[in-house]
Amino acid sequence: MALPSSRTGRPGPLWAVPALAFFALFALLPMLIVVGLSFTRWSGIDQPQFTGFDNWAHLADDAQLLPSFRLTVVLTLASWVLQTAVALPLGVWAAAPGRPRAVLAAIWFVPLLMSSAAIAILWGLLLDPNFGLASVLGPLVGVDDGNFIGNPDLALWVCIAVIAWQFVPFHVLLYQGATRRIPETLYEAARLDGASKLQRFRAVTVPQLRNTIVTSSVLMLVGSLTYFEIILILTGGGPGTATRVLPLHMYLEGFSSFDMGYASVIAVLLLVLGTGLSIFVTRVTGYARMDSQTEGM
Amino acid sequence: MRMRRNNGRVVTAAGIAVLSLALAACGSSGPSDSASGGSTGGTDGSTGGSAAGGKGQLWVITDASLNPLQKASVAEFNKSTKSGVTFSVSDFANDPYKQKLQTAIGSANQPDIFYNWGGGNLKQYVDAGQVADITDAVNAAADFKSKLIPSVLDVGTIDGKIYGVPMQGVQPVMLFANADVLKAAGVDAMPTTWDDLQTAITKLKAAKKTPIALAGSQGWTELMWLEYLLDRNGGADVFQKIVGGDKSAWGDPAVTQSLTMIQDLVTEGAFGTNYSSVGYDNQGTLALLAGGKAGFELMGSWEVSALNGNFPKFAKSDSLTWGKFPTVPNGKGDPAAIVGNPSNFYSVTNASKVKEAAEEYLTTQLASDTYVQGLLDVGQVPAITGLEDKVKTGDFADFNAFTYDLVKNAPSFTQSWDQALDAATSQTLLTSLQKVFLKQMTPQQFVDAMSK
Amino acid sequence: MSTVTTTAPATRPAASAAAETRRRGTKRERPSTVGWLAAGVWLVVVAVPLYFLITTSLRAQSEYLLSGPVSAPTDLTLDSYSLVLHSGFWGYLRNTAVVTVATVVLVLALALPAAYAIVRSRSRFVRRMFSLVLLGLAIPAQATIIPLYLIVTKLHLYDSLTAIVLPSAAFSIPLAVLVLTSAMRDVPNELYEAMAVDGGSPVRAFVTLAIPLSRGGITTIAIYTAMGAWNGFLFPLVFTQSENVRVLTLGLWRYQTQYGVNVPAICAAVTLSLLPLLALYLLGRRQLLSGLTAGFGK
Repeated sequence: MALPSSRTGRPGPLWAVPALAFFALFALLPMLIVVGLSFTRWSGIDQPQFTGFDNWAHLADDAQLLPSFRLTVVLTLASWVLQTAVALPLGVWAAAPGRPRAVLAAIWFVPLLMSSAAIAILWGLLLDPNFGLASVLGPLVGVDDGNFIGNPDLALWVCIAVIAWQFVPFHVLLYQGATRRIPETLYEAARLDGASKLQRFRAVTVPQLRNTIVTSSVLMLVGSLTYFEIILILTGGGPGTATRVLPLHMYLEGFSSFDMGYASVIAVLLLVLGTGLSIFVTRVTGYARMDSQTEGM
Repeated sequence: MRMRRNNGRVVTAAGIAVLSLALAACGSSGPSDSASGGSTGGTDGSTGGSAAGGKGQLWVITDASLNPLQKASVAEFNKSTKSGVTFSVSDFANDPYKQKLQTAIGSANQPDIFYNWGGGNLKQYVDAGQVADITDAVNAAADFKSKLIPSVLDVGTIDGKIYGVPMQGVQPVMLFANADVLKAAGVDAMPTTWDDLQTAITKLKAAKKTPIALAGSQGWTELMWLEYLLDRNGGADVFQKIVGGDKSAWGDPAVTQSLTMIQDLVTEGAFGTNYSSVGYDNQGTLALLAGGKAGFELMGSWEVSALNGNFPKFAKSDSLTWGKFPTVPNGKGDPAAIVGNPSNFYSVTNASKVKEAAEEYLTTQLASDTYVQGLLDVGQVPAITGLEDKVKTGDFADFNAFTYDLVKNAPSFTQSWDQALDAATSQTLLTSLQKVFLKQMTPQQFVDAMSK
Repeated sequence: MSTVTTTAPATRPAASAAAETRRRGTKRERPSTVGWLAAGVWLVVVAVPLYFLITTSLRAQSEYLLSGPVSAPTDLTLDSYSLVLHSGFWGYLRNTAVVTVATVVLVLALALPAAYAIVRSRSRFVRRMFSLVLLGLAIPAQATIIPLYLIVTKLHLYDSLTAIVLPSAAFSIPLAVLVLTSAMRDVPNELYEAMAVDGGSPVRAFVTLAIPLSRGGITTIAIYTAMGAWNGFLFPLVFTQSENVRVLTLGLWRYQTQYGVNVPAICAAVTLSLLPLLALYLLGRRQLLSGLTAGFGK
């Protein structure tokens, strides 16, 4: 069974083994280990001590757990709404021909070339309340002292905005490409019906982009659990715990409090969330179906 | 930033009494009990059995002033040693360093000599069996040992065994100020009482300056205020009880009183309004102070070397001034008491393949004239006895003399809390305190969170 | 919710889309002011930070602190750049390049055969495996950082570039398999069958059919994986420590502490880190952008 069956010219399962083995060693095995570690006490330097359900019981009195979860949900949903609301119209707009649009779009894409670390550092400089741009622009938007990342009510939204700054260009690209593939005949028909520009956008463009909206949304949702570096560098989870999203909560419990056991509990929760999201995504999109030749995304 | 943290034991009253004695006594008296070491010559590595050579790693924290000195001392060792071993220095930013050390130690990639904070910070590595007992080597190097201030060496000593030796200056926290800014606002002298400070704050606010620079995005800078206020209000004993494991001591009225005073400072705008966006690791408060935008900053004595690294002109000018933390009304604490870090330490890892050479490095270099002078030159007072004359020379003579006296006259020297307590408690402490500053937590809620 | 597309099945985006736009373009109406306005606003949002980045990197440090962030820089200087270039930048760049190339090669070497097997094999084992790998799509890598650290140490890979490459590649595999699978599904069955009839082996079909015909997907995955590896932060942070294996993202972070108030130097470092990709972008903007989305855009 394991040999390539050359009679039919079909590859055998062996072809898939290296990828699977590799994935198992560096992705699946760690997931199992992290479950194991969640039942231990471990500071990272000594040997893990089995402590049964102690860490799991600690979940109940971790006052930061629910706030972190809530922050994660807000971050995910707000990022999704904001990025879609910006990227969809801009992508459609950029799909139209013309040199000025092309030039503009070319500039838009530059953030795409920057690493999260670079972006977080750049924005950290911009948001410095005393020497950065925040001191100049803050008063214009009602934040007189330029206190953006130090204000617990604003910090999360600043992170959401910086994350959008990083990822919107990519989604603009997706929408731009997809819009260009909408058959012109559909627009002509709508035009003959006397539809206005806005009506055409709603009646033709958006429905035609449905699959792209799904793709783009999936990438945003899946990515949101990994928005981590920007927050770590920009606010470190602060001020207080105002931006301590779940992945950061885990990281800090593990690598600042050196409570690797409890950090593993949170890691398991993250894994469950991530896996749940993956299953949801593959079900909704039909990604997992293997036989369709034309399935779309 | 660098030296603020130490875990574990607090060096307090008893220890410091010894420190003062030692400082006064200078030189060979106290610690020359090296006979008890039972080791003879060879162990300190100068001959070091295995002359086969090898390479060793020394880990320190990034510091523009100190790193060159540390590297020079390693280079000096590499040149002069007969062990054939050469060391190289790697430096890391403060916060990543603690994580790096935690994960690397005990692994194949651990350093041979590592920077640490002594006390409880060092103890956790000792408890895990990762740190070499260097008692014999230190005792064998009697000349070296006799130069160390005993009470500071105590912080590197656990259960009677020496695991770490002090490698840089004593680090008391004190109030720094930009004298030009103060003068322009009509503040003529460093505040000595809480009322003085209040007056200064009012005047500075009127002069449109941030009265006190505070790097509120990093909780440990805020912690210094609580450390001093509690010490002044309730005395050093309160935290002694806490670090001894008595969580109910958080409920001491002096804790809530100190936290209330902190919130009052915040309310009156003593730290400005945007302090929670300001960082210390990116030298945000240094720029505020040196740039004339703020009047005061409460910081460890390393502030001078940090300023010297980034704003040398300001650091060497008369504009930079300093003073003791002010007294508070009806305070139970001794106004001469200080908080901060007794020093930082080098320890040798247990699994190091070049242990003897590492011991040789520690005992031959850390008290050498070049190294001591190098520390003094960058504004650090080493934990070395008999420096009365030496501290009065160089660019930072006044400051060094002040620090020397401050430490010498202090009845107690409370170790930074986030070093004295275990890592998890420290984290809770720091985030809770940040919330107190942001007024997201009342003093009572803070007490409840900490006594849990 | 089924997502079978009813329109324009399997058109390859780049070429035909361009043709279509040209066709359509002639018929478009007058430009809408709202659109231009929105586009202009976003341009400002993107350009102002970049303007700040570039101009600040060219200022002298003293000038920055004195004259504030928005004033037009007067005396331009390249000092900050030379400072950064003399502070280990080239080494960081080389390490990042090695990590990036190795990760891409590894991912393609593993995911291409796997995708081929998924599309062409009848084995149930392969199907199961596909579902399993897809589970990894949304796994946040940081959730496994603690055990990964253990594994890396046990394999004696700590503090090496390999320690970054292996987990980075592993976490890129799900998306790679997914995209490559959809790309290979577009290769018509008849072609494979014709080749089989001619006695062609699976290897030959793989090399002469599957790979060339899924070039779009391969480009996408190469670019996507490369950007992931280029930007990687957490794995290098936890798995490496020495100066000689430090990658660019960590180098930047380090510059931030090291330079602190020397904002021009930090800006120069960030700008330099951006330059290699910017050069690629300017040289092959169309390929880069279409490649980045081709695999998703079907």
